[in-house]
Amino acid sequence: MAETLFYLLSIGAIACGAGVIRARMPLFSVLCLLGAFFCLSGIYLLAGFQFLAVTQLLVYAGAIMVLFLFVIMLLNLGDENEIARQSGIALSGKQLAVAGTSAGVFALIGVLTAGYGIAPVETASTRASGIDELQTLAVELFSRYMLPFEAASLLLLLTMIGVIAIAKRQRAGEPTHTGAGFPWTKEPLDEESTL
Amino acid sequence: MEDFLVILLKVAAIYGGVIGTAALYTLAERKVAAWIQYRIGPNRVGPWGLLQPLADGVKFIFKEELVPAGANKLLFRLAPMMSAVPAMLTIAVVPFAGDMTLFGVDTFGAIAKIDMSAFYVVAIGGLGVYGIILGGWSSNSKYSLMGGLRASAQMVSYELSLLLGILSIVVVSGSADLYDIVDAQSGAIWRWNAFQQPLAFGLFVIATFAETNRHPFDFAECEPELVAGFHTEYSSMKFALFFLGEYCAMIVMASLTTTFFLGGFEVPFWADAPWVIQLAAFGAKTAFFLFLFLWVRWTLPRFRFDQLMSLGWKVMLPLSLLNVFLYGALTSFGAFGD
Repeated sequence: MAETLFYLLSIGAIACGAGVIRARMPLFSVLCLLGAFFCLSGIYLLAGFQFLAVTQLLVYAGAIMVLFLFVIMLLNLGDENEIARQSGIALSGKQLAVAGTSAGVFALIGVLTAGYGIAPVETASTRASGIDELQTLAVELFSRYMLPFEAASLLLLLTMIGVIAIAKRQRAGEPTHTGAGFPWTKEPLDEESTL
Repeated sequence: MEDFLVILLKVAAIYGGVIGTAALYTLAERKVAAWIQYRIGPNRVGPWGLLQPLADGVKFIFKEELVPAGANKLLFRLAPMMSAVPAMLTIAVVPFAGDMTLFGVDTFGAIAKIDMSAFYVVAIGGLGVYGIILGGWSSNSKYSLMGGLRASAQMVSYELSLLLGILSIVVVSGSADLYDIVDAQSGAIWRWNAFQQPLAFGLFVIATFAETNRHPFDFAECEPELVAGFHTEYSSMKFALFFLGEYCAMIVMASLTTTFFLGGFEVPFWADAPWVIQLAAFGAKTAFFLFLFLWVRWTLPRFRFDQLMSLGWKVMLPLSLLNVFLYGALTSFGAFGD
């Protein structure tokens, strides 16, 4: 039973993964990715990792994919030709510098992590189930894996700051969006009435 | 064999009960609205208008089904289902009563008991937003699209506060199982989380209003601006399915608020009450929150969307984080130890 389910879910995950890159409309790519997350979450459940399965749905399906859909709908990305037309932006020197710095920080984190000799180890305690699993996970995360955890949070913070910085810079100049197909984006609206 | 029959019976009873409640709740909405506005409300079909939901259902079935030109037909048909199914899946772990014996089989008052049920309800319940977003997008109408966009931004923002509220409960209870959370509140009324964690209670209740797209946060519909929002183009049973999803989500949210903050099925001053009494206590507490949804809807005016966003990110989120920090610290210093 479990084995059959595992194979079914695996086939589902692979098929959805293929759908993500094969779909012509970005919206269907997102929906395929959603399906893939569901299949993965099912596989985690079969392996006995309830918390991981729920977190997968909570974070990726519940929040991140919703934001993906939000952006796709806001930019009205109909099919891939339009994306190609809209994303024809050349990288400037400054942007390259930012990208290089980010890569450097990433490398530094990698070196630090490797330097402390922390590698994923499967111990008996990480296989426990139930609430013990949650407690074990928390204890491991905040003691043994403290540095990678904090490094990952730092990286996420950097990404957020970077995104805000880039978005602000574009707003200062000419509006870059083409607003294809949206009658109400032809003229710039004030922020409050956009949503 | 008997075990299996009892499980089937529980599934039928719980789903039948919830969908029946959802139907009656639509009537209650109109009756309470009428009462608050000093009107009579529906009173023609059956005694006190009790058969009105049935008449509405028949009407929905006979309405013409329209698919707007240029709509994405697949997603247009899929969206109402994606809106109704997550709310119904969430019901599976809600503890309606404690341990019980049915036809000689020892069982418990929920369909399923899982270790992560406190997170399961948010994870699955949060997927209901896809129905609204996709319904809004696939309708090929600007009003629907704006409704869907608003819903997506709103649900993601308030899910954070909802989750952080649950997190502080989980930290204090020491378990993510809804049954353990109810057990942790048993004994006396002051042990209910509503009194133990008043800030989390307030934030959670506000967030449930936003999560279910109810007044004063119903920006996905918002009649004066968006006609009917994400379901402007829907008719017939597809529209009814959105309606059912919304009311089921409200019932789920009300029962979750009861479970997390009002001691769930615990009867005050009667520790080991029979399960029928526990079920009645659960029903009464949930009914209060169901009434609160209606009461607020017909009392408060709607927010503006930017006010909603700044409330969510600048007020609710910091307060929720503070609450988690506070109760995490209190728990680690042993303030809630037994």
